Amino acid sequence: MSTISIKNLRKTYGPYMAVDDLSFEIPEACVFGLLGPNGAGKTTTFKCMLGLARPTSGTVLYGGLPLVPATQQHIAYVPERSVLYDWMTVAEHVEMQRRAYAKFSVPKANELLRQFGIDQRKKTRALSKGMRTATMVALAIAREADILIFDEPTSGLDPINQRHVLNLIINESARGATVIFSSHQIGQVERAAERIAVVDRGRLALEGSVDDLKSDRKIVEAILPSETFALNGLAGDPRITRIDRNGRIVRALTSHDAQDVLARFEALGASGLRIVDLNLEDIFLCAVSPADATADVVEGR
Amino acid sequence: MNYVEWLRVRNCLRIYAIVLGCLIVLALIIRISISNWMSDEQYTIDRVSREPGTTITHSMVDGVNRTVIENARERTTITIDNKGFFGGKVITITEPATERSRVNQHIGSFSFQESHSAGMQTVTTRTDEPVNFAIFLVIGMVAMLLVATILGAPFAAENKDHLEIALLKPVTRTRYALGTIGVDAAGIAVSGVLTIIAAIVCQAMFEVPQLDFSQTDGWLLLFVVIGPFAWYAAINAVTTSLKRGSGAVVGFAWPAAFVIIGLAGIPIQGTPVGQVVHTIFWGVSRIVPITYMHEFEVRHGVVGDLDLPSRVGILSLLMLVYGALAVLQWRRVEA
Repeated sequence: MSTISIKNLRKTYGPYMAVDDLSFEIPEACVFGLLGPNGAGKTTTFKCMLGLARPTSGTVLYGGLPLVPATQQHIAYVPERSVLYDWMTVAEHVEMQRRAYAKFSVPKANELLRQFGIDQRKKTRALSKGMRTATMVALAIAREADILIFDEPTSGLDPINQRHVLNLIINESARGATVIFSSHQIGQVERAAERIAVVDRGRLALEGSVDDLKSDRKIVEAILPSETFALNGLAGDPRITRIDRNGRIVRALTSHDAQDVLARFEALGASGLRIVDLNLEDIFLCAVSPADATADVVEGR
Repeated sequence: MNYVEWLRVRNCLRIYAIVLGCLIVLALIIRISISNWMSDEQYTIDRVSREPGTTITHSMVDGVNRTVIENARERTTITIDNKGFFGGKVITITEPATERSRVNQHIGSFSFQESHSAGMQTVTTRTDEPVNFAIFLVIGMVAMLLVATILGAPFAAENKDHLEIALLKPVTRTRYALGTIGVDAAGIAVSGVLTIIAAIVCQAMFEVPQLDFSQTDGWLLLFVVIGPFAWYAAINAVTTSLKRGSGAVVGFAWPAAFVIIGLAGIPIQGTPVGQVVHTIFWGVSRIVPITYMHEFEVRHGVVGDLDLPSRVGILSLLMLVYGALAVLQWRRVEA
């Protein structure tokens, strides 16, 4: 199972466009983070990838081939909400997976469930939200699938188990599996993901290697002489991707030479100039929050 | 691949078996409770046996144990032909006529016949009457209909919250659907068999039934099996696309079916409103499988004079159409 290609994926629910012309590729054995605000279309993208929802248009290819029932042997999915059967025990879920998937490892499932402290004799209705999530994660990892898709895999887990799940995800990648996951905890994504895609209102806002995205972008921070100080068209500078202003403090995102932008600020009479490295949260916020809204403020109008 | 459905069916049958077990225990309690006074004949036998001057003789006649209890002073003769546990008994009591007179009856294996002659009455009680097996089949069919109703919404159960499990199995949706239907069909059939066995056991507690299969033919067997399957398929077709509310559909399925059949039964020669109601509901009732299993409707001609093969044919058609509708819907559901 090699590269996953998503091409021009579009999914509408009546008049609502959940996913709009989404295209990106997920390389084999990569940890891929799918980020986006609530309602951005992450879960719908996963559902289209898995055949749980029919795309309105576009394709999802696994190693160049469309999804067929046999492909499901190689894909494990953990949805964001519990889909376990309330009336079944955890052990019965293990048995269900064993019967359905050729590579499912019962010893591995037993070990993971033990690590999470889950009693297999319990019916899943007796488990807490976090324990249900942990059960689903354990069952998915015990599948020994080539592709693992996790939608908010740490939702409801305590910090210890969040860390444990993250380690499991990284271990799966080390095993050679392709891991795709979404999370609102950007720190987790930053720690685990090699590549990310940011979707916003169904559209791809950003995609690339985490390291590249961070190294390509810098923030130039400056203190302006006054709160109403005009920036003389700085917001329209093609070298500046985005600019935010909070009182006298201005932060400009650039993917060009940061020194040039810094010199521009210096020429305007700004003080406290410095170039700051971006973290993933900055990249995410820049990708999804509207920059136009601050234009007036930036220009001091 | 259909392990979850198998578990559902197993749980359903487990509960159903417990209910049947309770009924058997209840029958046993009744049997024990009435064992000492279950018949006037037994009372007479006990009474006469204790009378002075009574002679009791045992013999073997044509392989049957015969006991004759005779009391000349009371002019009473009792003949008991015992054919063993599985063969039943024939008890004939001849005694002076009394004022009480009983209606000749035939219930299950039991029959009572009374005749009078020259101031004497002869009461013959038989426990070896043949029991039409078709009765047990119909009892089994009713049970199958109930279980078919309970199991009738398997896809709605998945559709509610579990599509991420059900649809990600490495099989086509059609194969998954057919597997699920197959598991449910097996469960429904097993419930019928369990019910028939339980009914026979209950009957045997009172007297081992001499089963008569002469009226049980292939058409009847098909009717008994296909009727519940058609009902299951109908509920399934109605509920498959539902994410919520399938329980209400299942709960109201029987009342709704009987309302439709009842309103379809309003005579056409009634009021104009009645005629309209009849026409609408008659039409709707054609696609309700229960219509073809409802004896009331047969008597009132709503189904017409459909014979058993015709009913089997219609029920088979409904079963296939509803089954196909359920599968087609399942192929289209989205999480």
